[in-house]
Amino acid sequence: MDGAKVTVGRTAGLYAGAAVLRLALFTLFPGLPDLLTGRVEISTPVTSFKRLQEGLFLYNHNVSPYDGGVYHQAPLLLPLFSLLPSFSTLPILTYLLYIAVDLLSAGALLKIADSGEAGSSALFTSPRREKRWSGFIVAAVFLFNPFTIATCIGRSTSVFTTCAILHAIAKAVAGAPFSAMVALSFATYLSLYPLLLLPPLLLLCYDRRPPSSQKQPLLNFALSHIAVVLAVLSALLQMSYLMTGCSWEFLPSTYGVQLTLSDLTPNIGLWWYFFIEMFDSFRSFFLAVFWLHLSSYVGGLTLRIRRQPLVVLTLLLGIFAIFKPYPSISDASLFLAMVPLYRHLFPLMRYTFVIAAVIMYTTFLGPAFYHLWIYAGSGNANFFYAITLVWGLGLSLLVCDLTFAVLRDEWEVERPEMVGKEIRQI
Amino acid sequence: MRRLLSFLLLFVVPLFAHASDYHEQLVLRPLPLSTLLASFNFRSNISFSAFEAHNFRLFPRSLGQILQHANTHELHLRFSLGRWDAHSWGARPWDGAREGGTGVELWAWLEAETDEEANRKWRTLTNALSGLFCASLNFIDETRTTRPVMSFQPEGNHPNSTTENTHLLYGVLPHEVVCTENLTPFLKLLPCKGKVGIATLLDGHKLFDASWQSMAIDVRPRCPESGECVLEIEQTIDMVLDIDRSKRPRDNPIPRPPPGHELKCNTSKEYYSDNTCYPTDHATNQDFSLSQIFGKLMKGTCPLADPNVPPVCLEIPDSRNVYTTQGAQEKKNPDGKSRCFEIGPDTDFELVVPRAEKNEETPDVAVEEIVTPETPLLYAERSFTGHGQERGGVQTILRNPSPDTEVEFIYMETLPWFMRIYLHTIEARIEGDTGKSPSLIQETYYRPAVDRARGTQLELRMRIPPASTVFLTYDFEKSILRYTEYPPDANRGFDVAAAVITILNPDQNGTNFAVYNLRTTSLLCSLPTPDFSMPYNVIIFTSTAIALAFGGMFNILVRRFVAADEGPEMGLAARVKERIGAKFGWIAELVGKKGKGEEKTGEEKKG
Repeated sequence: MDGAKVTVGRTAGLYAGAAVLRLALFTLFPGLPDLLTGRVEISTPVTSFKRLQEGLFLYNHNVSPYDGGVYHQAPLLLPLFSLLPSFSTLPILTYLLYIAVDLLSAGALLKIADSGEAGSSALFTSPRREKRWSGFIVAAVFLFNPFTIATCIGRSTSVFTTCAILHAIAKAVAGAPFSAMVALSFATYLSLYPLLLLPPLLLLCYDRRPPSSQKQPLLNFALSHIAVVLAVLSALLQMSYLMTGCSWEFLPSTYGVQLTLSDLTPNIGLWWYFFIEMFDSFRSFFLAVFWLHLSSYVGGLTLRIRRQPLVVLTLLLGIFAIFKPYPSISDASLFLAMVPLYRHLFPLMRYTFVIAAVIMYTTFLGPAFYHLWIYAGSGNANFFYAITLVWGLGLSLLVCDLTFAVLRDEWEVERPEMVGKEIRQI
Repeated sequence: MRRLLSFLLLFVVPLFAHASDYHEQLVLRPLPLSTLLASFNFRSNISFSAFEAHNFRLFPRSLGQILQHANTHELHLRFSLGRWDAHSWGARPWDGAREGGTGVELWAWLEAETDEEANRKWRTLTNALSGLFCASLNFIDETRTTRPVMSFQPEGNHPNSTTENTHLLYGVLPHEVVCTENLTPFLKLLPCKGKVGIATLLDGHKLFDASWQSMAIDVRPRCPESGECVLEIEQTIDMVLDIDRSKRPRDNPIPRPPPGHELKCNTSKEYYSDNTCYPTDHATNQDFSLSQIFGKLMKGTCPLADPNVPPVCLEIPDSRNVYTTQGAQEKKNPDGKSRCFEIGPDTDFELVVPRAEKNEETPDVAVEEIVTPETPLLYAERSFTGHGQERGGVQTILRNPSPDTEVEFIYMETLPWFMRIYLHTIEARIEGDTGKSPSLIQETYYRPAVDRARGTQLELRMRIPPASTVFLTYDFEKSILRYTEYPPDANRGFDVAAAVITILNPDQNGTNFAVYNLRTTSLLCSLPTPDFSMPYNVIIFTSTAIALAFGGMFNILVRRFVAADEGPEMGLAARVKERIGAKFGWIAELVGKKGKGEEKTGEEKKG
């Protein structure tokens, strides 16, 4: 695929194919959307479409959706979905909205891939960059990834966060730091954790800044753009405040739930079972430790891989997909969408077979074990917990392996004679 | 049912006229399927001035002081067990006003300036009542307390000045097992303490063996047209006894199959013959006596009770014979369906109702054995739908049996917070109709649950057309709890309180005047459970997974790359080798020497 000329027609065909596939799944299997919405792997308490519908119902009947334990999603999603005709009468519009969001994400991913940022950033150029996949293929891998399709059919609201994050990166790569910051603010507003992507995104914006602002020092650049993020976020929160009847009660109900994990519904992450089994006196301590652990990667990666901020973003997305409070396969699909950008590093990765095997294994065994626990009653909670552990380990192996490949690629620029030789770390 | 009430009112009205302070009465009513409803009613009152002055005479002092301490104006407490079988037993006693759902129910009107103060007083009240009645009422916390908006109306006369500051709080404990320890304090509240009068018949063995029983305490202010306002306490016990079961002798309580010649067979079955029998469980024609069903005789009458109110009444057609002990006077009611008995103060009273005899003159005409029960205004059944421990649904089947009258009622659910209901899925449809019927639900009051802080409160005002059945359904999700929040018997499930249905008066539109109450059965909801033996293991496993990810990452980020043959030798094997070489080199030497020596000896032997 090296140097393949991507024509507009081919890309349009790809989008059309992806849209038709999703539309066919929506219409030919009318039970499928609700089935997938009910799956814990796809819908978490903070992204579930059924909870969104409940919030919408309460919002339309003048009951505050945040004065209850069901709805934990951002307030501005409510007027967005109220504008659409009721889901029960015209579901096709909701389907089209979700398909459009997926296509927008794919468009952003295509731009990121075609920019070549993955192979050669401002401070580093990989010797292997020629061996890369075109944006067409990267977008196709994203659009036809079963995880992405399942998320779209399950109508999880995490697709909006995915779309916002990808657009933030695409805008940063395209040299539009302001738009990148706005997009990141939206992502943060929707699900809080993307705020941790701010440092590497700032560096990416700085490295790809337009020539007009070339002379600005990094500190000024960073401060001004952090100010943009804060301004947009406070505007969004202010709008939410006005929209929910001048009350801040949405804050504990949306971000507070993510911070304190008060809803312990099972998901594919590591938090839920840990905090079910946690002793009450240590609960707050371990909540702090888990959040600290999640954010500790940001500084280390950003400093160590300073020359390739896009790599840092990719690795962080992978870490969030494992360690955030309410992860779903939607987060994994976002990470797996970014990984093909590093096609040139694949030969340097050591455990691709193990990783692929573990991900397949957990994908098939996870739903089976969940069924055994919840429905068949022949297994207990440990079955599903074990699978989430394996899933987490598999993904973390992928993240580590990718980090290894990136660092070795950097090292081989200094030591070109070591290409293909056996190495070790001291 | 209204007949019973009007009949009782006959005696209640003169009671007020005479301003007598206490009365007690037992009403026995045989029901179909060989059951007997026994309704005990004890009522006393105290004037407001005496109450303020702590001058308790017949009103129980222990309860009175609690009420004063918690500023409670009206109180309703229910202890119930079992299920009222409306299909066979008909309408409920007291029009359902004196019963609760399974477990314990408490609602009260408290005077308080603010909601917080009301909550504080409510806590005081529940804790005090918990001690008084030996029930776990202190477990009625915020998550089990609601403030119903439409369902309950005060029964007493509250002066308008206090209405604004009066708060209604409602708490329910569906899991509470009502038993003898609740009956003893109940009897102690009575002026005669269960030593004489009808209360002597109340025995824990019989009461809690009943098919259905409900103990109620109602305290309410009453202001007659003329005269001083009084605080009235009414204690009620209703129980449905299975006559066959009650007659089982105490020394032989284990049911054994009767011998063949004693079997009661259903002769209408076509295969009935000498050697085949379809047993009928319930002989329609039952005989019973007081001592058989209650296990003892009634000891006299309470001397404090109003002598104008007959202590025992029996609702049975006049055509049947009833025998009593000497000295008891039988008074038949003009409607021909009930009779009452005047009893002397010191006589032990026995009542025997023999089998209905066939009329000899007209043997073909069946003798009316019991008073036919009235049809209730509404039948209600509630159950869970779905399977698995993840989500489910609740379905309530409401049937209006009346051929020509609509029934309007308020349906109230109080659900625990760990049942997350989806209100957008609520649906009411008439059986046979395919589409939704939005007109059935006229008004909704919904207060969603907050995790660990508050339960769901749902009140629906509904109207059901005549002779139709309505299915009311909604979905819910079962949440998984922290492992310390599960009870010791976590896999038994969690009790969900009965739904309260208050039927409104069809004549007085606009005013919420309850004419009939009923409650569905309570439900048992099984939640997903974690493995309770695992806390340490889970903490260790998860921490290991995190440590592996973090450690692997840290390792890769921090260490330098070198070629495999560059730099100092690292790794465990190398280090161990180095250490051994430094410290225990002499052993290696020794071993080497010894080996050589052995070789030598071997050679020598050869040689």
